[in-house]
Amino acid sequence: MKITWNWLSQYVDLQGLTPQQVAEDLTNAGIPVESLAPVAAGVENVVVGHVKSAEQHPNADRLRVCTVAVGAAEDLTIVCGAANVAAGQRVPVALVGARLPQGPIGKSTLRGVASEGMICSASELGLDVRLLPKDQTTGIFVLPADAPVGESIVEYLELSDMVMELELTPNRSDCLSLRGVAYEVAALYGREVSIKAPELRTPPQDKLPLTVEVATDRCMAYSAQVVSGLSLRPSPLWMQMRLLAVGVRPINNIVDITNYVMFEWGQPLHAFDYNAIAGGHIIVRDAQRDEALVTLDGQTRALEPAMTVIADPEKALGLAGVMGGESSEVTANTRAVVIESALFDPLQTRRTGKRLQLRSEAGTRFEKGIDPAVTLPALARAVELLCEYGGGAIASGPRLAGAALADANTGHDAVRQVAVRAARATAVLGFTVDAGQILSVCERLQFAAREENGTVLVDVPSRRPDIRIEEDLIEEIARLIGYDHIPATMIVGSLTAGGLSNEQQLTRMATDHLIALGMQQVVTYSFVSPTVAERMRLQPDDELSRMIPLLHPLSEERSVLRTMMLPSLLEVAEYNVNRRQLDLRLFEIGTVYLSESLPLQKQPTERRVIAGLLIGQVQAPSPHGESRSVDFFDVKGMVESLLKRIGVDAAAQYTRSRAPFLHGGQSADISAAGSQVGLIGKLHQEACADFGMELTDAFYFELSVEALLPLIRERLHVVELPRFPGTLRDLALVVNRALPVSELLTAVRSVAGPLLDDVRVFDVYTGEHVGIEEKSVALRLSFRSRERTLTDEDLQQPMAAVLDALTIAYGASLRA
Amino acid sequence: MKDKLLALRDEALSRLGDSDLEVWRIEYLGKKGELATVLRGMATLSAEERPVVGQYANEVRAVLEEAFAARKAELESHQAALREKTETIDVTLPGRTPFLGAEHPLRKVIRRIEDIFIGLGFTVEDGPEVELDRYNFEALNLPKDHPARDMQDTFYLTEEILLRTHTSPVQARTLERRCPETPIRIVVPGRVYRRDDDDATHSHAFMQIEALVVDHGIRMSDLKGILLQFARDLFGADQEIRLRPSFFPFTEPSAEMDIRCIYCHGDGCSTCKHTGWIEILGCGMVHPHVLEAGGYDTSSLTGFAIGMGVERIAMLSYQVEDIRQFYLNDVRLLEQFATLTR
Repeated sequence: MKITWNWLSQYVDLQGLTPQQVAEDLTNAGIPVESLAPVAAGVENVVVGHVKSAEQHPNADRLRVCTVAVGAAEDLTIVCGAANVAAGQRVPVALVGARLPQGPIGKSTLRGVASEGMICSASELGLDVRLLPKDQTTGIFVLPADAPVGESIVEYLELSDMVMELELTPNRSDCLSLRGVAYEVAALYGREVSIKAPELRTPPQDKLPLTVEVATDRCMAYSAQVVSGLSLRPSPLWMQMRLLAVGVRPINNIVDITNYVMFEWGQPLHAFDYNAIAGGHIIVRDAQRDEALVTLDGQTRALEPAMTVIADPEKALGLAGVMGGESSEVTANTRAVVIESALFDPLQTRRTGKRLQLRSEAGTRFEKGIDPAVTLPALARAVELLCEYGGGAIASGPRLAGAALADANTGHDAVRQVAVRAARATAVLGFTVDAGQILSVCERLQFAAREENGTVLVDVPSRRPDIRIEEDLIEEIARLIGYDHIPATMIVGSLTAGGLSNEQQLTRMATDHLIALGMQQVVTYSFVSPTVAERMRLQPDDELSRMIPLLHPLSEERSVLRTMMLPSLLEVAEYNVNRRQLDLRLFEIGTVYLSESLPLQKQPTERRVIAGLLIGQVQAPSPHGESRSVDFFDVKGMVESLLKRIGVDAAAQYTRSRAPFLHGGQSADISAAGSQVGLIGKLHQEACADFGMELTDAFYFELSVEALLPLIRERLHVVELPRFPGTLRDLALVVNRALPVSELLTAVRSVAGPLLDDVRVFDVYTGEHVGIEEKSVALRLSFRSRERTLTDEDLQQPMAAVLDALTIAYGASLRA
Repeated sequence: MKDKLLALRDEALSRLGDSDLEVWRIEYLGKKGELATVLRGMATLSAEERPVVGQYANEVRAVLEEAFAARKAELESHQAALREKTETIDVTLPGRTPFLGAEHPLRKVIRRIEDIFIGLGFTVEDGPEVELDRYNFEALNLPKDHPARDMQDTFYLTEEILLRTHTSPVQARTLERRCPETPIRIVVPGRVYRRDDDDATHSHAFMQIEALVVDHGIRMSDLKGILLQFARDLFGADQEIRLRPSFFPFTEPSAEMDIRCIYCHGDGCSTCKHTGWIEILGCGMVHPHVLEAGGYDTSSLTGFAIGMGVERIAMLSYQVEDIRQFYLNDVRLLEQFATLTR
């Protein structure tokens, strides 16, 4: 919402205030002033001139030599290149020494004729030419014939008037009018508001009859009056300049007046050509199915019963509150208009506007709600201006219909009574507020109020629909006393222990650990393309293929909720690889969204997943020898250390994974204590290639936070150190090459007896010294007793048991 | 005898420099060495001479042993020097630096803010991103057809299920779950969604963090006190704050909080649009309708709520110009956060 300082000063006393100060105080009172700037800056020494003659330049076809009176003793000779310059015009003249936004004007000689200044165009004066009619922006800016010769153009066009742009919060729709802002400024400084509503007038007899009928409950008030004898012409220049300043395109006197009154009162108005209304009868009704209307913009609109139309007995004339119809548009031949001032259902207006993708200043105001008290004053004001600036005369009495006007007719504003207790205000705000202060705030707001035992009863006028409950008034009190008056205190009350949940603690610990291992945390979007299912080689019936679609996505690329983290990380990898960042160690603790069925019946399950993706070298390049590529066991080691770090007690099992996006021979499902907690592996070549990494080996892991949580041990004590030395025994066993080593280890643990402390693999060999189908696995068993030092005899039985068991179960033999 | 000892001493000392040290030791100081041989001849001496010569012999032994130790040290030090020479490296070569991991800036900011509130006695709460209309809107004083809950601005999955547009539904859920328990002091970080086209300052998905306090006797001045503490923890001990009236459906009175511009310290610059202040967050006293929806008695309880955009704070703190940078995850940017201490 834009307003201008001069315009505002018409309705509220601004004596002794500056625009800068008011802008700052409005901002501090909750009406932020987004910008403050003159209508046009940098214009000096430009005056209104009278073109006495315009002769052909002797040496140039396109130039004219003009004699221009500027209110000085001597007329000026000015060479002008504009095609539209003509004798008799009033024009803006930049005198020698003038300043324009583009630069200073000096004396010049054009093709041998000295020019003592310049006749200016609108854009040269710094005006927003996008909003001006074309005939005013091609060539020089021709002023009205009554423009006073010699007057400064800055004064005449009010170019130094300050334009304020207000950034209104949705509750302050009252400030979508000069009237509302005037009340606000008046409240800030305790000033008077002087906005007078003219009376509606009724002629002795109707020259042009009009009747109105409201046949829908989506129109709360409808008022209209006929004005005839109009001549369509530009509106007065001051009105055009003001509309221009607030961002409205001046069109003609009738349209400009409706817009001007809308800015003044906040009430959108519409003018219909009287002759287009069959029988002089207006009906406000719901649109019919299959009804169509050609709107002002020339488009044919298919109407629906959910829309409200203004109609005559034969046809729809316009969409209520949204846009008028072409058939009743005001044209050059229009002599009589019906001016409409009405209250339409905000929701209907919003929905219809959205449905037809029509947004307008009027629509915005209807959507946010209009003060019912201004319907009639706005109508009267428009009629008054049409008579004054359109040459019109009232041709019918005002016609009123609708429920809301029943109240308005009583001559009273609809008011709401809200009570506010001084004690409550004090308790909520944290500084003492007494009834006297509340009464004073109400006076500034021009709300009638009276006190009863510390409670102030406030009559809130209809112009402030945002004030409904006590807290609303407490905000008004705080706002007008000033938020800077609120002290800073600390909460008084019982102490509470702050902290993280177990899950939050786990994710923080995992984050810190992975970062310490050199991993880079990323944050990716939850929306992905539905094509990722196929790109991840998922079967259509895979649960991970069941991605929840958005009803109205912004793009196909981000139209479903992800069920897995991998595509998000691959997208990041692709972005970085394209920028020649080839060593990537990425992780994210992100959310995936899993639904039981589609279409969605209830909220999906949101799972937090720790996911990592690694490509490239294990170490940053250095001059100290060869690095190598990341492999499966680098990543597995990372996962193992992470599980330890976060306190997972149970031993993790790694079994071959069937995940379609992983390499069949280098991938594993990770489980612990009988349930799957994640997976790990080299990516399937196709999955990589699909993200632009054809020749890259990428390794991925993911762990479900939900699955890990119950595995975290509660124990918070250490294990006592052994007092007796342990004994080591190594075994080199030849077994079948396909045998998972984890099975050997499990078997050793189960048969070696209570003295076994630990068993590890320290070498795996394949090659010429063993058979082609075989491998040699070297195990180191560590035995220890808590009571004594072990002897060789102590170990004979356990070692024999291990060897027997492995020979029987896996055909293992001792390596020669 | 004495002369013999002297001669032996001189001979031994003169040969020390060019003998193998161990051979020399055995020859002169060994059990069968020269000195021992001389001493063995002491048996032939008279009782008067014996102590004199014995003392003399001990002195010679001491001299030789000292000379041996000195020579040994000299040789060892020489050898160490030789070894060091061959082992000398260029210490200016770079080290084998492990990769430096880093926390994502948005997570970093969330953690800092969480920690500030944890220190003030708040617990960290989570809630679902896919929400019910009821919690995202209705319980927060945004009834159906409220303009702020436009289909245009919200990603719906079904008519009733949507992606939360703010973290505030966690307020509603917490109140409903904990009623009538007091005090409530929670801080809620999380991802939220708006149907905005992505540009330099908008993202269809972004992070919010909000705080909620409900108790007996909570005042707007308490809100200001917490905010001042928060601003100083986050932006420096000399920070000042300013509250301006604003509007949110779920708070009344409502406010925006500004801090002194962290770039120009209030002198005015392009970041603060020459006002000296930067808007950081929205806040206010919990709207009675919200407390009522949670089942709380509004006649005896009040509360405040604070909500802020994590990206905005990260952009200001780290001077990142474009919100999309946080989601592009260019590692050249992210790696820089490994070296930022806050």
